[in-house]
Amino acid sequence: MKRTILAVGQLFLTLLTAPAQTPDIGYDLDVVTVSGRKLSEMGTTRTQLDSSALRENVIHSMADVLAQNTSIFIKSYGRGTLATASFRGTAPSHTQVQWNGMAVNSPMLGMVDFSLIPSYFIDNATVYHGAGSVGVTGGGLGGAITLETEAPKQRGFNLNFIQGISSFDTYDEFLHLTYGTDRFQTSTRFCFVTSDNDFKYRNFDKIGEDNELYPIERNKNCEFQDWHLMQEFFYKKDDRNRFGLSAWFMNSQRGIPMLSVDYRDENRSKDLQGEKTLRVVGNWKHTTDRIVMETRVGYTYSDMLYRLWNDLGTEELSESLHAASKIHTGYGSYEIQYTPSEKWYITGSVSAYLHAVKSRNKTANDTIKEGYYHTRVETSLYASVRYRPHPRIGLGVDLREESYGDKVTPPIPAAFVDFTLWPKYDIALKGSFTRNYRYPSMNDLYFQPGGNDSLQTEKGYTYEGGVTFGIHRKKFAFTGEGTAYNSVFRDWILWMPKGENKGYWTPCNVKKVHSYGVELQGKLAVQLAPKWNLYMDAHWAWTRSLNMDDPKGWTDGSIGKQLVYIPEFSSSITGRISWKSWSFSYKYHHYSERYTTSSNEKAYRLYYIGPYYMSDIYLEKSLSLRFADLSLKVCVYNLFNEDYVSVLSRPMAKRNYSLFIGITPKWGRKK
Amino acid sequence: MNRQVSSAIGVAIVIGIFFGLSGCMHYEPIERENINSNKATKGLFIMNEGNFRSGNASLSYYDPDSMKVENYVFLRTNGIKLGDVAQSMTIRDSLGYLVVNNSGIIFVINVNTFQLVGTIRGLVSPRYIHFLSDEKAYVTDLYSYFISVINPKEFKITKRINVRVNGKDQPSTEQMVQYKNFIFTNCWSYDNKILVIDTQTDSVVDYIEVGIQPTSLVIDKYNKIWTITDGGYEGSPYGHTAPALYRIDAETRKIEQTFNFELGESGSEICMNGTRDTLYFINKHIWRMAATSDKLPDKPFLENPTTNHWYGLTVNPYNSDVYLADAIDYTQPGRIYRYNVHGELLDQFEVGIIPGAFCFK
Repeated sequence: MKRTILAVGQLFLTLLTAPAQTPDIGYDLDVVTVSGRKLSEMGTTRTQLDSSALRENVIHSMADVLAQNTSIFIKSYGRGTLATASFRGTAPSHTQVQWNGMAVNSPMLGMVDFSLIPSYFIDNATVYHGAGSVGVTGGGLGGAITLETEAPKQRGFNLNFIQGISSFDTYDEFLHLTYGTDRFQTSTRFCFVTSDNDFKYRNFDKIGEDNELYPIERNKNCEFQDWHLMQEFFYKKDDRNRFGLSAWFMNSQRGIPMLSVDYRDENRSKDLQGEKTLRVVGNWKHTTDRIVMETRVGYTYSDMLYRLWNDLGTEELSESLHAASKIHTGYGSYEIQYTPSEKWYITGSVSAYLHAVKSRNKTANDTIKEGYYHTRVETSLYASVRYRPHPRIGLGVDLREESYGDKVTPPIPAAFVDFTLWPKYDIALKGSFTRNYRYPSMNDLYFQPGGNDSLQTEKGYTYEGGVTFGIHRKKFAFTGEGTAYNSVFRDWILWMPKGENKGYWTPCNVKKVHSYGVELQGKLAVQLAPKWNLYMDAHWAWTRSLNMDDPKGWTDGSIGKQLVYIPEFSSSITGRISWKSWSFSYKYHHYSERYTTSSNEKAYRLYYIGPYYMSDIYLEKSLSLRFADLSLKVCVYNLFNEDYVSVLSRPMAKRNYSLFIGITPKWGRKK
Repeated sequence: MNRQVSSAIGVAIVIGIFFGLSGCMHYEPIERENINSNKATKGLFIMNEGNFRSGNASLSYYDPDSMKVENYVFLRTNGIKLGDVAQSMTIRDSLGYLVVNNSGIIFVINVNTFQLVGTIRGLVSPRYIHFLSDEKAYVTDLYSYFISVINPKEFKITKRINVRVNGKDQPSTEQMVQYKNFIFTNCWSYDNKILVIDTQTDSVVDYIEVGIQPTSLVIDKYNKIWTITDGGYEGSPYGHTAPALYRIDAETRKIEQTFNFELGESGSEICMNGTRDTLYFINKHIWRMAATSDKLPDKPFLENPTTNHWYGLTVNPYNSDVYLADAIDYTQPGRIYRYNVHGELLDQFEVGIIPGAFCFK
């Protein structure tokens, strides 16, 4: 701690005495690009997350990036807590995620915790909405997200270090070392965060020990410590053959914050969750004039441990619950892309995963142990044809077939059409259709207690259509896209209490869900004057995700109602103005109210979360010294100091701050 | 465009967004109300568990005479949430003791005004409270090695009773019944015992083994203790057997008769009528049998025509009306159905999420 403060102090001194060479921040026009759609992208709705989104803040995880830059709803209750995605009103397991081609979704849980993916560890991220996800993988009833890293472009040794100091004793460090020649590149990334996260808040749910109503309390049992290390090697044998190897290890230790209605002493009750995950993937890409082939192999190991500790009356903490799971996954895939002419684009791929999952729960003193050990092979076979019969018209068909264990899903087809109305303004119409299937996770099938091995695959139909446009001038760029979609899902898997037994829940194919809505997104970049740049990025979504199941008796009030925790409206805007080496950003984020009951009750604060309006501001200054480029950034979150919750009984931090100092030495590049 | 003008426009746009879009979240205290129950009416409290780890438990109050229900009375009166998993309620004189399991607290309220008069803290995972006197009560616990002895007047824990028996380190003590100076409590979670505690020495003196996971416990007018098991579940390391109803003699602590159900069935919520000569329980449907019967009834008292599983059950001790709780899908406010002793529906009303426990005033 002392060392960190000293280092920060030294950096401040350096900044104050630095020569007045200041690099301009003027990159915004570059990120709003308009280009003709590739054959492979025809008819799909995609959101490309560029470097300005991924490199905005070193404390950001992909959860923050997705929430701020896409129409995806992220359910989370603060930094260092589980963050799951709802894409077009679907469940977290309906968003499929890949890292360098390999699935990230837990085979055990089906979903991804986006809070465990630092945005600085990702170089390219693409969000595929609805039918577009079939080209990535099956089971993306809401959509799919691909996360990729890439070889460093700079040659020689390069280093970038960022030190962050934030409220609530939060310290972030990020280090990126690269080395590159024309043929060989290596990249090492490391990040570390530790936080007490014990912010103060007024607890409107509680009475204090001295009978004070609404006491000021601290967030309890909420400390977290995560670190990530990613090592990558890239080798270009010749113009036709490239090899890559990426290894990413993460270690996360987190407390699960106590509810605002928990009256137990923090020292007498603790929930702790740890995860260690290693992902390794290697690839060989072979390119010829018309054919691109890529072979990948990978391995994932994940070790998760949840522990509940209580003082059981002995004046010391004893472990009441111990839930451990270990997952080994082997992966291999082969993909071929063939472009016989400018009019045709043909793709085929095959991939396979072998999962071995061991899940064990035990109660205090090992009195009861239960769990499961299962292996499962999952395969996916994919073929795709794109055809452009006319420069303005594109057509495409995808077909995917998947298997899990000894079962096979029905074929997953998708069709796309794309028509350019007005090339000058890049105005195009697009449409697509898919019938998709998602098979149950291994916990759905085997978890003890409650696993249900007779579950059916979830099924969904999605139709969508939209329009895109883009205007690009010398000092002005404006792009936009609007999409309307309609989906019907059947056999939606939902965990329900098992009969009268109050002890455990079990998954069932229970729901029919009708999801429809509109997504709008736009980007604007203007060079207002020399050295003055304005950039804006906006997203808006209207999402209706309705339970259309058969009623459970005549009193069932859930039919035709919005699914829990899905906001009907969401929007986000990032506005940034830069002048020379200064940059000021304003980020605004809104979710409409979210219901926590299936019947959409609004009884006081018990059953719904009120509308969410969040404002953050960033101020950044860049400096170019003789020996290094420096950046200094100050962030203010929850600018208007709001009391709020995002999940029932989970308090959130009021106004809080971060300070970041970044340094990039100019080794051998002094000017 | 003039540079200064264009720059100013840019700044204005950003500032416009800055102030134009920002809203206020209005996360504020709930305005408190004065709600009173009719002091003379023998009303019914309904503890709505709420969803685990959501902190949305609530308390409802039903007046059987006027057939009116007031929901969320704890929240509306006291301005704070009831907490996470409202487990049970017991009334002693004019005070109601609300045991909130995953909040680790017992709230004490005035049963006529619903106003909070005290809290009992320092508990791990409290389940039920049983009064031995004005100054002494037992609180059972799902996780603790101990039953807490409390002084209800001072709202303090005075002692803890170690309940570890025969290598079973962590019995989950549940409901309690009293016979003479002995308390009987069923151990439900991965257990099969009914512990016997001597209230004079505050120690476990005996236990009775029954089937897997006894869920509830009552004592009838003939001093017979009744418990019903859920039989565990398929794949459970503790075993999976057919559930059963047990009649145990409180004096000899011997099982007198076992009434077996089919494997896969699940019994719960055993309760007595006011004269304690008839018992009721849930096993998909609602069943009623005389305490003197030596066989299970052939037909249910109330047939459940839905796919829903009824979650709670109680019998009015004053007129033997039967109240059953339907949690519907467990994520919306549940519903209470009130029947007379002939099985005729008298009333029904909506309450909070997962109505699970009842308490008559």
